[in-house]
Amino acid sequence: MVYAEALGKTYQIGKAKIEVLKDITFSIPKAKFVVVSGPSGSGKTTLLNIIAGIDRPTSGKIFVQGEDLNDKNEDFLSDFRCNNVGFVFQSYNLVSTLTVAENVAFPMEWSKKPEEEIEKRITELLETVGLQDRANHFPSQLSGGEQQRVAFARALANDPQLLLADEPTGNLDEKNGQKIVQVLQLLKERGKTVIVSTHDLQIRQLADKVLTLEAGKLASENEYGSFSN
Amino acid sequence: MSTAAFPINDLLRRRLQTSLIIATLTLSVASTLFLLLYGSRLGFNLTSTTGTLTAGLTTTLTQFLLFIGILIFAVGAVLTSFIAFLMMAQRTRDFGLIKAAGCPNSLVAGYFMTELLTTTLAGCVLGTILGFLMDYAAANIVFSTYQLPNLWFGPLVFVVFFVLSLIFGALPLLKASKMSPVTALSPVTYYSLTAENKHKPLSRHAITWRISTRSLYRRQSANLRIIMLLSIVFILLTVSVAGGIIASGTTMSWVQKTTDKNTIAIATNSMGNQYELLLSKFSGSTETGVFNYSDPNLAIPDSIITQLIGLSSVSLVDTRLVLNEHVQEVNNFTFDGSTGQTFLMGDSRQGDAIVIGVNPESLSGTWSIEGRFLNENDDFAAVIGDSVAQSMYTPDPSKNINQSNPLVEGISFEKTTFNIVGVCIDPINNGLVTYVPIENLENITGLSNPNLLLVTLKSSADQSAAIAQIKTLIQSIDPNLNVFPLNSVVEKNTNFLASTWRTIMLLPLFILASAALCLVGYMMLAVDEQHQEFAVLRAVGAKPRIVIYVLAIQSLIVLISSFGVGISLGTIITLLILMPQPLVTSFTILEITGWLLAALAGMFLFSLYPAFRLAKASILKIMT
Repeated sequence: MVYAEALGKTYQIGKAKIEVLKDITFSIPKAKFVVVSGPSGSGKTTLLNIIAGIDRPTSGKIFVQGEDLNDKNEDFLSDFRCNNVGFVFQSYNLVSTLTVAENVAFPMEWSKKPEEEIEKRITELLETVGLQDRANHFPSQLSGGEQQRVAFARALANDPQLLLADEPTGNLDEKNGQKIVQVLQLLKERGKTVIVSTHDLQIRQLADKVLTLEAGKLASENEYGSFSN
Repeated sequence: MSTAAFPINDLLRRRLQTSLIIATLTLSVASTLFLLLYGSRLGFNLTSTTGTLTAGLTTTLTQFLLFIGILIFAVGAVLTSFIAFLMMAQRTRDFGLIKAAGCPNSLVAGYFMTELLTTTLAGCVLGTILGFLMDYAAANIVFSTYQLPNLWFGPLVFVVFFVLSLIFGALPLLKASKMSPVTALSPVTYYSLTAENKHKPLSRHAITWRISTRSLYRRQSANLRIIMLLSIVFILLTVSVAGGIIASGTTMSWVQKTTDKNTIAIATNSMGNQYELLLSKFSGSTETGVFNYSDPNLAIPDSIITQLIGLSSVSLVDTRLVLNEHVQEVNNFTFDGSTGQTFLMGDSRQGDAIVIGVNPESLSGTWSIEGRFLNENDDFAAVIGDSVAQSMYTPDPSKNINQSNPLVEGISFEKTTFNIVGVCIDPINNGLVTYVPIENLENITGLSNPNLLLVTLKSSADQSAAIAQIKTLIQSIDPNLNVFPLNSVVEKNTNFLASTWRTIMLLPLFILASAALCLVGYMMLAVDEQHQEFAVLRAVGAKPRIVIYVLAIQSLIVLISSFGVGISLGTIITLLILMPQPLVTSFTILEITGWLLAALAGMFLFSLYPAFRLAKASILKIMT
């Protein structure tokens, strides 16, 4: 599902060069739950961004669902993200001018899904994340935990095989964090490939594999339970 | 850190934003000052260039310039206030942050007021200097020589714009100082957003349309300001483009109408040349000596007139006796029915004018007239040129002449008084002309023959063959007579008028450029406010062009709203200030519509610059 080879990423800030990822190689098969861990600044978010096609590596290769994302143009990457990847940001990032239902609907609208299918899917997803009664509310009327659950529903709208979540419980209290863990558990059970960057121990317990980054390098790669299957 | 050091350091740290604000303010102040200086220079050129244009046309042009000058000033003032408001509205969040950190309200307000003062002072000073430099460059390029402009425009623009910037920049600060830190930190506040959206949540419109319109709806306050500004710009454009094109066409027709295009003059060589000189005074020709119009050698024999009328190629022979006379205003009393009082109109002002005796039954041209032209039953009636009316028949409080109206007064020369029945615009002698019946003029001067014939040829006739035939005929009777085609002189006059209008019409072009810059500033605000959401849309799978669509819809809505308001009010104002007997053809309307639509399209494309820039940027760059 995801294969990275000698992946490197360097940012140029003024005259200074900051090497965020250094020579990272790993592979993640389909339907696995992978946790990316490491201290702040170790490159977790950058790695997720590269896997999602939001950012491009400076060196190395990244293959997602058999596509080499390095040589693809922006329009291809947009379509690819819309149809194949669900991304959940740490800071929710909902579109404030759209309602909950519309936030969940817009990736499906871009995929040109029929209207009936979109409405059916909205209902289904909002039930999954427990927000069926908040469909017509705007993001500003929701709590942080609710917004994060909407972000999950949006990420799953086009039923992507790959879901990426960047510290999804980082801004939430324990109770709301628990609800997110339940959603992730459900996705694991449904056989989605999930890559989560997190410090959350509860999420870590769901992992088939843990990639630990330190100062941009892959420090360890630990596999658990069902990984070899 | 000292109180003064913080704002200065803050401005220096935010170098890009600070430079952008100062640059925009500088451009706004500079373009307004330049346009006023350039406009006044144009007006000064029109009024001071002795010997060109008639008084009526000069008045039309200077009134037009004055009106545009007022609108330019209004646009500049709104533009500067808008920039200052935007600058400080975007600092509301920082205001909230510093307050939240425990800084006293007065100190925070002091910091930001110092920043506002520094940026607006820098913008206004630099703008004033740049405005004078631009005027210096334009004066050298357009007029070839540099004369000192109206220097008082500098301090006027500087003071007014500086004060306006301070007032409008301080408004968001005052508002922020009364807010709790939480409110000040909210994007709802610092982007001037409305709290909630009242649109139907599950609207059926396309997603790009929904995002565009709802974001616009949230930025009501900023939108109202930009729509107001752009409406003023479009009013200015409509008035200047529509008014300018109509006025240009109309004034051009005034000049053309006085001499039919198939008309030739017949006179002795000296009289013919003098008549051409009188006509071309309009475009700058000057007299070098004194011409004796009553010289008996200039007289045209009656037999020539009879023979010319008999020619098949001739449709009309306009007999004229052209003289130079010392004319005097003849005042009159008028009765006001409502008050029952009698007023004295006018005085006894004097001047020199060309007096032309004409036969009202056979006139080769028509005139733009206030009142009426002479008719066959008129006895001792006169029609005066607009420059005569302007110099001798306008109220002049400095000479105690409070009321004056040529149409109730008279004009006298050769000890004979004529009742004025009309005022016409005429390029001959730059409007210093008076028309009277030829019979009256011959009787009072004792001259029994005309000294000029204007012959109108049939349009169906072969013009060169007809002219050759006429030349042979007249020279067989009097070898001193010659034929003078007047087309080239009329063309020279219309070209001169057209080039004058073209120079004036540069003004709206400059102001359009300033407004386009302002629209880009507004679009940058829209991008700034929505950048996080655009990043999310892109991250979730929106193609870069979706971002352009969203911003294009917003720009189009703002532009079309302003265009609608501006064009409607502009049309009303144009109709109100329009000159008498405007020449409006379907081509004029097409031309005006074309220019206005071109301006709209140009501004729209220019406003998309921030959208294209954003679409090119990487998602991470947009997000941060």
